[in-house]
Amino acid sequence: MIKDLTIGQFYPAKSLLHRLDPRFKIIILILLLVFIFIADNFLSLALTVAFVLTVLLLSKVPLSMYLKNLKIILPILIFTMLLNLFYITDGTVLFEYWIIKITTGGISRSIFMSARVVLLIIISASLTYTTTPNDLTTAIEKLLSPLKFIGLGGAVHTMSMMMTIALRFIPTLVEETEKIINAQKARGADFESGKLMQRIKAIIPILIPLLISSVRRAYDLAEAMESRCYNGGKNKTSMKQLHIKAGDIISLCVSLLFCASVIVLNLYF
Amino acid sequence: MAFLRVENLTHTYNEKTAYAKDAVSGVSFSAEKGEIIGIIGHTGSGKSTLIEHLNGLLKPNDGQIFIDDVDIWQNPKDIKKYRFRVGLVFQYPEYQLFDETVYDDIAFGPKNMGLNAEEIDIRVKETIKRVGLDFSYLEKSPFDLSGGEKRRVAIAGVLAMNPEIIVFDEPTAGLDPSGRQMVIDIIKNYRDTYNAAVIIVSHSMEDMAVLADKILVMNSGKVAMFDTPQNVFSRNEELKQIGLSVPAVTKVCEILREKGIDLPKSIITVSDAVQHLLKLKQGGGTVD
Repeated sequence: MIKDLTIGQFYPAKSLLHRLDPRFKIIILILLLVFIFIADNFLSLALTVAFVLTVLLLSKVPLSMYLKNLKIILPILIFTMLLNLFYITDGTVLFEYWIIKITTGGISRSIFMSARVVLLIIISASLTYTTTPNDLTTAIEKLLSPLKFIGLGGAVHTMSMMMTIALRFIPTLVEETEKIINAQKARGADFESGKLMQRIKAIIPILIPLLISSVRRAYDLAEAMESRCYNGGKNKTSMKQLHIKAGDIISLCVSLLFCASVIVLNLYF
Repeated sequence: MAFLRVENLTHTYNEKTAYAKDAVSGVSFSAEKGEIIGIIGHTGSGKSTLIEHLNGLLKPNDGQIFIDDVDIWQNPKDIKKYRFRVGLVFQYPEYQLFDETVYDDIAFGPKNMGLNAEEIDIRVKETIKRVGLDFSYLEKSPFDLSGGEKRRVAIAGVLAMNPEIIVFDEPTAGLDPSGRQMVIDIIKNYRDTYNAAVIIVSHSMEDMAVLADKILVMNSGKVAMFDTPQNVFSRNEELKQIGLSVPAVTKVCEILREKGIDLPKSIITVSDAVQHLLKLKQGGGTVD
């Protein structure tokens, strides 16, 4: 169960996407996220699907990894589909019974919404699968660095440090949780059966030790950082420097071309 | 037939994927009631995976575990009852304390067993004495105790289930010398009282030499040796090759032997060494 958690997970491979400058990847991701929602007819949607599929193939990450993400959001997906199907009542009526009314408008809207959610998840996952957490936070810090001109430089650094630490500790916490679950199981704790209230109560023996050890870790980490003279972002240089390459510019141009095509398809068809 | 028998146990992680890896393969050993078995092996040799099978936390891909001649996976629905028959004390068990009072924390296991309040009360009070703490501790919060006391309370939480087999993973790790001695005494005392089979995973060769009746040496998921401590520790060279060592006193004896002092290879404890040296001295040997 806990091992299915793939958010923020990096998948090591050698692909075009892995090599891309993380700053460009983030910019392209934001563009794509916006244009997934701008595409509003079937032709532009089809183009978006094609583009996302290309990205997916270029990432060299196995399809099953993406599907795992989709499995988690399946309930939300079904809910969105049904809600749109029954709620939108424009277009021709295809089927009517009591208060249920299914129309062409409803069907097309529900296809659009679910396709958008799926694309959104896939494209966001492709960023985290192909970028190490450290690269990701460096890139975010660099992209937000103009904020220092309005006196927010320190905040940007603090935020990116917090993100780095949070991402760094996900696997540690997962491991810790598994250990604690096993230890409590060894004392006969039962997490799999019982009524809802009993199950909620059964989580307490996991949550409390986890909380305590997180606080302990936080203290230890703070002490370790301070003893190495960490004092925030002032004059901090990073070990890894990012350099823009030709491939990065090309990828950005291709993405911009895609965005332009979506607008054209939206306007003329 | 031995009380606990592990036969040909194999566990593969990530089975049927490219990452498939045998953590434990073809491991067999047995333990009688009242026996203490030590498991040694360097990091990643499969010790932890092996012990998580003994109470059914992990299911073997191949092989069986018999307790009292019954395969514990014979009826998978019954696996939970083996969690109470085989107690498992994980490494740094104090990190798993969670309840408001020491009393409630020790009572967690017995409660899960479905015992009534009276029986739980008896068990908790009996166990807190067993780990060398008095009743005044019962009303304290486990988080206000010292490191050594926390460790003992956590061990008490498993002992309170009165398991017939008890497994300890690194029970003395991170404790000061008096804390270590205390934990060793708790383990011996429990074995003596309940005639339980005890299995201890440890990196401390000294502890193993004093405690274990038999030692199981693990190397990359397989059994390298399964013998008495004397026999295991006399195979110094082989142990070195798999990244292990012998008790400090055995090393000292070896150096003395190289200098021509006639000491047997089977000395593994300080008291052994003292006895042999005294005998040599009385016999007018080469010791001054």
